[in-house]
Amino acid sequence: MDFGYTPEQETLRREVQEFIAEHVTDDVLGELETAEEGGRGVHYRELIRKVAERQWIGISWPKEYGGQGGSRIEQYIVEEEFARLGIAVGGAGSGAPAILAAGTEEQKRHFIPGLISGEIIFALGFTEPQAGADLAGLQCRAVRDGDEYVINGQKMYTSAAHYATHIYLMARTDPDAPRHRGISIFLVPMDAPGITVRPLWTIQSDPPAPIGTTYGMARTNETFFEDVRVPASMMLGEENSGWYVGAMGLNLDRVGASRYLISVRRDEDIVNWVKENDFGGHSPADDPAVRDKLAELWTEAQVCRLMTMRSMSLVERGGNFTYEGSAEKVWAPEHGVHTTETITQILGPYAQLLSSSEEAIENGLFAHNVMGAFQSGINHGSVQVMRDQMARRGLGMPRG
Amino acid sequence: MDILPSEEEQLLKNAAREFLEAEVSTALVREMELDEIGYPPALWQQMADLGWLGLAIPEEYGGQGLPLAYMGLVMEELGRVLAPVPLHSTMVAALTVAEAGTEAQKRELLPAVCSGGMVMTWAVTERDPRLIPSAIAEQAQPDGDGWVLNGVKMFVENFNVARRCLAAVRTAPASEDNEGISLFLIDPNGVGVSQTPLVTIAKDKQSRVSFDGLRVTGADLVGELHNGWPVVERMLERATALLCCQMVGATRKDAEMAIEYAKNRVAFGRPIGSFQSIQHLCADMLLHTDGAQLLTYEALWKMDRGLPAGVEVSQAKAFANEKCEAVVRSSQVIHGGIGFMMEFDLHLWLRRVSAWSMRLGTTFDHRAKIASALLDKPGKVRLGLPLPA
Ligand SMILES: Cc1cc2nc3c(=O)[nH]c(=O)nc-3n(C[C@H](O)[C@H](O)[C@H](O)COP(=O)(O)OP(=O)(O)OC[C@H]3O[C@@H](n4cnc5c(N)ncnc54)[C@H](O)[C@@H]3O)c2cc1C
Repeated sequence: MDFGYTPEQETLRREVQEFIAEHVTDDVLGELETAEEGGRGVHYRELIRKVAERQWIGISWPKEYGGQGGSRIEQYIVEEEFARLGIAVGGAGSGAPAILAAGTEEQKRHFIPGLISGEIIFALGFTEPQAGADLAGLQCRAVRDGDEYVINGQKMYTSAAHYATHIYLMARTDPDAPRHRGISIFLVPMDAPGITVRPLWTIQSDPPAPIGTTYGMARTNETFFEDVRVPASMMLGEENSGWYVGAMGLNLDRVGASRYLISVRRDEDIVNWVKENDFGGHSPADDPAVRDKLAELWTEAQVCRLMTMRSMSLVERGGNFTYEGSAEKVWAPEHGVHTTETITQILGPYAQLLSSSEEAIENGLFAHNVMGAFQSGINHGSVQVMRDQMARRGLGMPRG
Repeated sequence: MDILPSEEEQLLKNAAREFLEAEVSTALVREMELDEIGYPPALWQQMADLGWLGLAIPEEYGGQGLPLAYMGLVMEELGRVLAPVPLHSTMVAALTVAEAGTEAQKRELLPAVCSGGMVMTWAVTERDPRLIPSAIAEQAQPDGDGWVLNGVKMFVENFNVARRCLAAVRTAPASEDNEGISLFLIDPNGVGVSQTPLVTIAKDKQSRVSFDGLRVTGADLVGELHNGWPVVERMLERATALLCCQMVGATRKDAEMAIEYAKNRVAFGRPIGSFQSIQHLCADMLLHTDGAQLLTYEALWKMDRGLPAGVEVSQAKAFANEKCEAVVRSSQVIHGGIGFMMEFDLHLWLRRVSAWSMRLGTTFDHRAKIASALLDKPGKVRLGLPLPA
């Protein structure tokens, strides 16, 4: 067991921190706050270009597709430093891990360099009005027609679809097969004729949540597909293997800094806040009940971190998850909720003040978190479904 | 960064499991609950022959000089089968002698520990069970070339069979320079020592020990006079980390028994393990056991690198106290009525894990330490980086 970083990795972390101090300007941060653009204005693009120049995006991806052929640990270090500012610099969540694992040569050459430069952005098209946690019930159809597939159906909560260049789409290719065996994944350009994106505004939209809020997005979407044609070469993995490709992608997606950080940032924030602030002379940091609670939360947060390290260690060794990804996806979101709700009882009435309010603490971060934290236990595999998987796959318990 | 056990670590762990599962049955555990000395000397000797007693003891004193993590992995396996052997108390005392003892003390004690001829224990706790210097009131009065000890130590493990006990006593009032605590090696059979066995939930061997005019000399002193507290702190850290290992091992086995039972026990026409409420309880048992294990391993790793590990040890114990207890309780729930029956083995784990959760620092004690490290030093905190010093 080795819980440490090498001196080279420590140096990398310092370099990234110095880079951030110099290049992540107020202009960049300002752009991140504009929900409509998805925070991708000129300054942001310039920043990503510079990050790419340093060869810090896709560190663990193969060289032949523009990556660095390095380790996930280094990629994690870079991701972690940027994710703390609400900036995703590739790796988890980008679609790339699934494409690298299951894609054709052509797909890798087509997508990976663009994902590295930030020119390609994927939206995720899994959920449908009648298929959420029970995703295998999805109905969106893809019918083969010569060298193409024709797609018809509706996707729900397609976050980023309004600025993404592509959508990572799950659709049914064989309606007669058992549910899990008739699904395929397509990499569909958003500018294909027949795609319509309509906004869905979230409870964080008025007033907008500050950067870093857990599920602080103001907008997601519903996306409609009407006779959308995609070349068959844009299918990821084998036809009808989409369920398994998708599950693998979701698991790989958990091996990274961003998933874990959304659940533990508030632990740091509240400790740092009570250390530096007080209420008219009274400091919650002196209250024994608060101290006990903060220590409890801190300990839980370490378990979030260690579960992420465990997943990373497993993947680095080339092993497969049995339940570890699901475990992380239960523990971290529930911890995030625990912290968020505890903070409301530490800050009392101040924790209700939203971003636009006078007297709001940290720009309303803690108040907005109350509205978002639980969402991470529903998204990307709900904690109920994740527990089912732990019990069935991890512990071999029988189906009901 | 690869937090999974290395190949060598895993090999040792597997070997320990294989040996212990063959040698330690629940019948033996039950037999030793009633036994006068509480452990089978033949098993102890076998463990010595396997080199386990000297795993973490320096090579020049007959040990293997391996990192504490190796000892921890063996402890985890001992916990798994509830092995009735005085290894924990022996290691706690012996590793402290290895760290702070004189050359003569090391030569006398450590080779004997490695070869199986020396059971040891330690005594810190008094009436006030908190493990802090101010809770040590017991006085050692200077007397010629030595000291005379008077007072009571509580919850001393294996005192009945130990040949040496490392006791922390007050030799001076706390001052600006030190806490006034000194460590002495005492002979449990010495003149002026008496003990009363305590009947514990774990049915292990613990005693209330009284010192009435027990004489010790400079040759028995471990570490600096009056300034023994830093040594005690490190002893307690090791003791706590190793106890967490035992808790993790026992808890995981206990959870496995519940999961197995749930797969086979039928109610309402189906295995209870197919009910989602039972499955989710089991998923939580897995989360809690894994969490305790990960925290414990990180603490051991830090100690082995000589890094400050007080916070990590406290995290592991605070978490294990609550979560391991919750796991063994859930396991009882899944077993319904049968788990409550004396003849069914499950309670052997419940009783031990519960008892261990009460020792070497409560959840509140450990969280108070974590809180102090988090809150009482200026500077920002960040997960995964050392706290401000
Ligand atoms: C802000 C936001 C962004 C999102 N972004 C995306 C995105 O980019 N792409 C995308 O594809 N999706 C996205 N989603 C969708 C998200 O993944 C789904 O909301 C989620 O999968 C749950 O589906 P549902 O809303 O239909 O709830 P349902 O599936 O109806 O679930 C409702 C409740 O029932 C529980 N439940 C369901 N089945 C079981 C069971 N067998 N046992 C016990 N409990 C069960 C669930 O856990 C949940 O608590 C987003 C959602 C939100 C709110």
